[in-house]
Amino acid sequence: MPVEDKHILEFRGITKEFPGVKALDNISMSFRYGEVHALCGENGAGKSTLMKILSGVYQPTSGELFYKGQKKIFKNPHQAQLDGISIIFQEFSLIRNFDVVDNVFINREPSNKLGHINRKEANRLTEALLKELDIELDVNANVGNLTVVQQQVVEIVKALSVDANILIMDEPSAALTDKEVRKLFDIIRMLKAKGVTVIYISHMLEEIFEICDRVTVIKDGHYIGTKDTKDTDKEGLIRMMVGRDIEDYFPALPAKQAKAIMQVKNLSKNNKLTDINFELFEGEVLGVAGMVGSGRSILAQCLLGIEEIDSGEIIINNQKQQITSIRHAMDCGLGYLPADRKNLGILGPMTVKENMTIANLDGYLASGFLKKKEEIKDAEAQIKLLNTKTPTIEHSIGNLSGGNQQKVIISRWLLKKPNIYIFAEPTRGIDVGAKAEIYKIVRDVANGGNAVVMISSELPEIIGMSDRIMVMNEGAIEGVIDQHAKPATEEEILSMAVGHEYVL
Amino acid sequence: MNQGNINKNVKRWIEPDRLVWVTLAAIIIFSTFASEFFTSTRNLKNVFLIQPIGLGLASLGQVFVIISGGIDLSAGAAISFMSCMAAGVMKSFPNLSPVWVILLFILMGAGIGAINGFIVVKLRVTPIMATLATMNILNGLTLFYTKRTIGGVPSAFRFLSDGRIFGIPFSIIWFLVVLIICYLILNKNKIGKYIYSVGSDAEVSALSGINVPLIKFLAFVIGGVLVGLAAAFLTARLGGGGPRIGAFYEITVISAIVIGGVSLAGGVGSLFCAAGGVLILTVFANIMNLTDLNPYTQVVFQGLLLIGAVGFYSKQRVG
Repeated sequence: MPVEDKHILEFRGITKEFPGVKALDNISMSFRYGEVHALCGENGAGKSTLMKILSGVYQPTSGELFYKGQKKIFKNPHQAQLDGISIIFQEFSLIRNFDVVDNVFINREPSNKLGHINRKEANRLTEALLKELDIELDVNANVGNLTVVQQQVVEIVKALSVDANILIMDEPSAALTDKEVRKLFDIIRMLKAKGVTVIYISHMLEEIFEICDRVTVIKDGHYIGTKDTKDTDKEGLIRMMVGRDIEDYFPALPAKQAKAIMQVKNLSKNNKLTDINFELFEGEVLGVAGMVGSGRSILAQCLLGIEEIDSGEIIINNQKQQITSIRHAMDCGLGYLPADRKNLGILGPMTVKENMTIANLDGYLASGFLKKKEEIKDAEAQIKLLNTKTPTIEHSIGNLSGGNQQKVIISRWLLKKPNIYIFAEPTRGIDVGAKAEIYKIVRDVANGGNAVVMISSELPEIIGMSDRIMVMNEGAIEGVIDQHAKPATEEEILSMAVGHEYVL
Repeated sequence: MNQGNINKNVKRWIEPDRLVWVTLAAIIIFSTFASEFFTSTRNLKNVFLIQPIGLGLASLGQVFVIISGGIDLSAGAAISFMSCMAAGVMKSFPNLSPVWVILLFILMGAGIGAINGFIVVKLRVTPIMATLATMNILNGLTLFYTKRTIGGVPSAFRFLSDGRIFGIPFSIIWFLVVLIICYLILNKNKIGKYIYSVGSDAEVSALSGINVPLIKFLAFVIGGVLVGLAAAFLTARLGGGGPRIGAFYEITVISAIVIGGVSLAGGVGSLFCAAGGVLILTVFANIMNLTDLNPYTQVVFQGLLLIGAVGFYSKQRVG
């Protein structure tokens, strides 16, 4: 039976089972020619699995896929590519020590019968594609040396070089600045005008409403529904995704407290940080906002002893500390949730339990041996406490969804019991449902008599969560907003983040 | 600004592709002062045109394997094995053309590489364990076959190592031909691109549609062929099949290419720099011999050189 003509792609009853998990359950939906179609849902909802089936990484357990009216099964990514389906993965699939040209043409190098690569031709084609997108980029630069947005451009060029009919973008804006997101949207509009169907996976609801024509929600492996973006709004979408309303999205701010746990005085680091002064109070969440490169991460790394400081003082609980290593920082009562969860947070192959107790093994030692029962008891308690979804505590953390991985890492620090928590981008790449839970956890941590420094690039999150907001620009503190006095606005923070000279 | 430029210039000189040659030059200059024999025509010819050929061929092979993300610990044992087998054949058929013998070496090398590749790719044994096992097996088979050197290698075959064309040692001529072929495969051909790609990131390569197992397998086979050629050269040079001829060769080979800037993590390195590493080790050994340094002390110095090189590169790659 032929599929309706305006549909380039249709899933019919797609089910995918992994050992012990039904990742997708009877998904049926379709995509039109030349539309930008958002796919959203909580982490672990099955979006990525569905896209991996479309791009040939996985094969469905049952169900059918119709592409341009024909029934298809893609056995591997190469086959899907040849048919014009390209995917840009969330974790970029680029070879870091190859240059742009080699990455774009990997596995499709223009070459003669002996396999001798025609480098000139590859160069020419890459430059032509870049010109088409109106982007300037050195095609012979090593991809590892490019910025994140440039790497993304390489991904897009790579995807387009196969004459894609369907382009899947998995969280394309996650690592981009606002300005770069604009550029990305321009490219998407250009693709759309050419009749390319773009499948856009994102947690950023604002973006979905700006760039997408239709949006489909998937939840727990089930198809929930598809809407025209002009027929719905943010609240409606969140309701579809989590099945609850947005009111209790951010926990309420508690009463103000005033006992300083940490003081930073005149902290400087060559040309990266200049004269940083601030206090951190018990029970508060101090939001740190600023553009990429404003010094937020360096500041965190200085507090943690990862980076050396040139001058200045760090006073923790009324004691001056010369923090020289992260171990020392932990001894001073600091805990750190890094932004790069995959590389710096989780120990992928190890179990949920091991990931929780790794930072605090000393606490489980009895004459040199690990007290296994206590480890198990604590891990089980943490799972309950944070509502972490994992089959068992002996499950590899690498198999959990991003939100649940993040909860395990938070548990790691809850068990260690620091009293200063540094959370860097705590909800990056995490869906709305789990976000709300993480916000509650962060607030609970602060309410427990601790202090939280929360570095974030998401302004709604900074505004929704922080007692005070510290805005950084070019390595200095541009200003601090006390939200108990007056709630901040995004405009206010942004104008501080780009420096006062730009303020209208 | 100015200082930035100076730093940039310094940085360029300490990148592996130049540092190798700077180090080599430094050792050569040091050697000319350390021993008057070093600059004799005879010694120079030996050090640069004959001595490094065997190590060089085996190193080229290891470069393919290591860049693909593997490692081959069986290279030394394979050399001994092939040397004895081929010597046995030559003894039984004294009139066999050297061309056939060389072909035999190539086939044996490819075969051993294929076995290693099969174990790694199909049985999913890590390269270090797979080749450690084949190393033991090959050593055992060799010593089962013979415990002493098998002589009687015809002089026609020895042309491979001792022959001259217009006064130039034949060994360096065919080595350079092999080097150029390897360069074309590794740096100008799709196969080479895939070897780099698989060694850099196997997962990304698979997602790009590259047949990762096949490339890993091919890297072992190409590496095996080159080890076969190394065995042919060494057999010709010795004039017989030696059951211990390749002993510890794999360690020297890996040292040489690591000194040449090839990363054991895969994906990084160049053939020419690896060849530079071979020359560094050869000249280093030569000058230690010429200055009558105690052989045990020599081994200690080689170890220190290796640690120095690896430490330096790893610091560079991290910082």
